[in-house]
Amino acid sequence: MDRINHHPILGERPKKEAVTFTFDNTTYVGEEGDTVAVALLSNDIRTLRHHEESGSARGIYCNIGHCFECRVTVNDIEGCRACLTVIEDNMKVESGKRLPNPLKQGGSFDE
Amino acid sequence: MILCRCEEVTYETVRATKEKYQCDARELKLRTRAGMGYCGGRVCRPLLDKISQNKNERLESQVIPLKYQPPVRPITFQRMQGDHHG
Repeated sequence: MDRINHHPILGERPKKEAVTFTFDNTTYVGEEGDTVAVALLSNDIRTLRHHEESGSARGIYCNIGHCFECRVTVNDIEGCRACLTVIEDNMKVESGKRLPNPLKQGGSFDE
Repeated sequence: MILCRCEEVTYETVRATKEKYQCDARELKLRTRAGMGYCGGRVCRPLLDKISQNKNERLESQVIPLKYQPPVRPITFQRMQGDHHG
């Protein structure tokens, strides 16, 4: 999803330094001051994690740090909200995975 | 329609549970897990309170809204034992 460069009210978007970071071992480039959520969105990545139980894809929901839907692991720290964490050079971001549930009868269910 | 995103509880489940047991918000939470998720009820608490209040025979004052349970923000065990960046 490309960024809005000419905004009717805000005008021209200022040039920003590039920042490289990795998301699930793939390198992406965002801009200085971007949050993880924004940088990934600009790289067309909307799925930030998978639900621990059902595995359904989850991503940005409130984007103001309220709902925790966008939680990712940043530099091995779990539960960081992607919408609040500003990207830094070679930051390591990992998405949340579906957790095994061996005790549940009938195995996985994908409605 | 999903009410509680964290626990994936649908409106239908909550409505059916309320219908069957005529329960208040707290009991709805216990029966359906709506409000018990990672976000601590931030998203679905108002909805649950609203659902359990209307069409409820008991006096408005007797219906106890959902409590705010500690920790107010999710916290890792590392951080709880003093590991600052945990």
